[in-house]
Amino acid sequence: MSQWFVLYRKEWLELIRSGKLIWVPVVFILLGASQPIVSYMLPEIIAGAGNMPEGTVIELPTLTASGVMVQTLQQFGTLGLLIIALISMGTVSNERLSGTSAMILVKPVAYSSFVTAKWAAMLTITAISFGLGYGAGWYYTAALFGSVSLLAAAGSSLLFGLWLGFVGTVTILFSTLLRSAAAAAFSALGAAALLSIATTLLPKALAWSPGKLTELAAAQLMSGHASGLWPVVSITIISIIAALALAVWHLRQHPSIEAV
Amino acid sequence: MDAISSEKLLILIAPLIVLQLLLMIIALVVCARSKDVNGPKLLWVLIILFGNLIGSVLFFVFGRRSS
Amino acid sequence: MALLTVKGLTKSFESTQAVNSIGFTIHEGRCVALLGPNGAGKTTAIRMLTGLIAPTSGDIEFHGIGPGADRRSLIGFLPQVPAFYNWMTGREFLIYAGRLCGLSAKEAQTRSSELLERVGIASAAKRRIAGYSGGMKQRLGLAQALIHRPKLLILDEPVSALDPIGRREVMELLRSLKLETTVLFSTHVLHDAEELCDDVLIMRAGRIAVGGSIQDIRSEHRQPILSLEIEQDEHSRKWLQNWLKTPPAYVKTYSALSGGVRLVVDDVNAARRNLLAELVESDVRMTKLEIGHTTLEDLFMKAVTE
Repeated sequence: MSQWFVLYRKEWLELIRSGKLIWVPVVFILLGASQPIVSYMLPEIIAGAGNMPEGTVIELPTLTASGVMVQTLQQFGTLGLLIIALISMGTVSNERLSGTSAMILVKPVAYSSFVTAKWAAMLTITAISFGLGYGAGWYYTAALFGSVSLLAAAGSSLLFGLWLGFVGTVTILFSTLLRSAAAAAFSALGAAALLSIATTLLPKALAWSPGKLTELAAAQLMSGHASGLWPVVSITIISIIAALALAVWHLRQHPSIEAV
Repeated sequence: MDAISSEKLLILIAPLIVLQLLLMIIALVVCARSKDVNGPKLLWVLIILFGNLIGSVLFFVFGRRSS
Repeated sequence: MALLTVKGLTKSFESTQAVNSIGFTIHEGRCVALLGPNGAGKTTAIRMLTGLIAPTSGDIEFHGIGPGADRRSLIGFLPQVPAFYNWMTGREFLIYAGRLCGLSAKEAQTRSSELLERVGIASAAKRRIAGYSGGMKQRLGLAQALIHRPKLLILDEPVSALDPIGRREVMELLRSLKLETTVLFSTHVLHDAEELCDDVLIMRAGRIAVGGSIQDIRSEHRQPILSLEIEQDEHSRKWLQNWLKTPPAYVKTYSALSGGVRLVVDDVNAARRNLLAELVESDVRMTKLEIGHTTLEDLFMKAVTE
């Protein structure tokens, strides 16, 4: 266990030294806070845009505070997800390509610790960034639109955070399987998009899909409860464990890029 | 929706602008100090200055050669 | 006492057989060179020993560790091109390596200071590795391989990327290290092997062509040699040409020298007598006739080219 902490501390140190621990949370805060502001100012922006025929009445749906929070989550679901995939895409492949994994894995280090320490670091920065960003979104929504119950916000953040963690885990898996970091990010984001679309198209057949997490998070915000939550959560957690196991297994077979 | 005075709105937005500027400055400082930047430095400075949030993010992700 | 026994170790990649059923034993306290030209399979063999590549077949057995124990804890490894986390300092990397090998925080720190001093980069210990030169990285690589006092130190081409001075310094370091632990290093330079090692394993095309202690190999494969040089006049050159077309039975092999020929012979006395007689009889203008023995280099060349 102490060895695992040594590995985790190294990942943590890397997050600090590379500046990720600063810029990722800042970007998430900006993402989370700007959505309520944009929503609030949208009528003015449109009115100010001019070149509307005289007397045009713009009918904008009235936004509720919960509705704005759902929009904020959508921001995290696109740009936020992209950033998580981008910062995780080289987690394993960069080490294998540069040869540092070969330096570390010839030491009596458990392959599972090597992977899960990286995974835990990914979860840490995701949780910090999303937590701060969503908190900022919550604060700005409360200031501009009225408050959303803390319980509903917290519940939805857990569900949505699980989705982010799931995609981050998939990125690390692809980062282990593939040589190219870009290919890993692309595959992970593609898989996430496919899963979301498939879940929307086949709601019955894929009622358990992790792709449903975003929908559940929105439902939690709007109505205070999300039905059919536990199958989705369990399947997601099982998938995360399976992805980690597959990554560890693959790394054990190919600790370094093999050269003849 | 309650009407909020533009003064109050400004107070709400101000910290975000500061944060955005901070991000930009950090990106510029890292770019200036970094020894191996992916591609021409000047291009990255322009991207950071005019790319808003995305510009800085692009620099942090792709601007530096990985160790 | 045997430290490591390898039997029938084989690695095939898709179309090629990089290592083809090699077997050897490494005894405790010896310094062993894995010698061979580039592409002979040295790196693949070494990577299998360290566990970085899974063998296609064959056994690697370390003696004196319990079943189920991690053999990696006995090995210190320096790859051909050591890679580091460039954002760490040299000292941080060493401590990290030590902690991963199971050293306590305190042990890792004292051991790191000790090794930084020993490999001669103590003054750069607090600098980021990103700014290190190739030679400094090689030394840091050596230090991290030694951090947990391994029973077997495995080095892949430790000096081939260094300039002559760096090479000299690393060789001196290795000379002192081999007194403390068992060393296996690969090289394509015979001279490095001869200078440091007790044993040598010569690899060629995935196989071990010759193996054993340098002294044994030297005496076993020692053969007498006659080097003949002649003047470059028409008559003498013609004679040599003709003579080499049907060399006498005592000549086993020969190779051209500038202005002469180098003969590997079986019976040096018979050869000397006969050759001198022929030279006199044909009135060849000889300039030099030297009697000697094959060197390890001859053996190496023979082993890797045949």
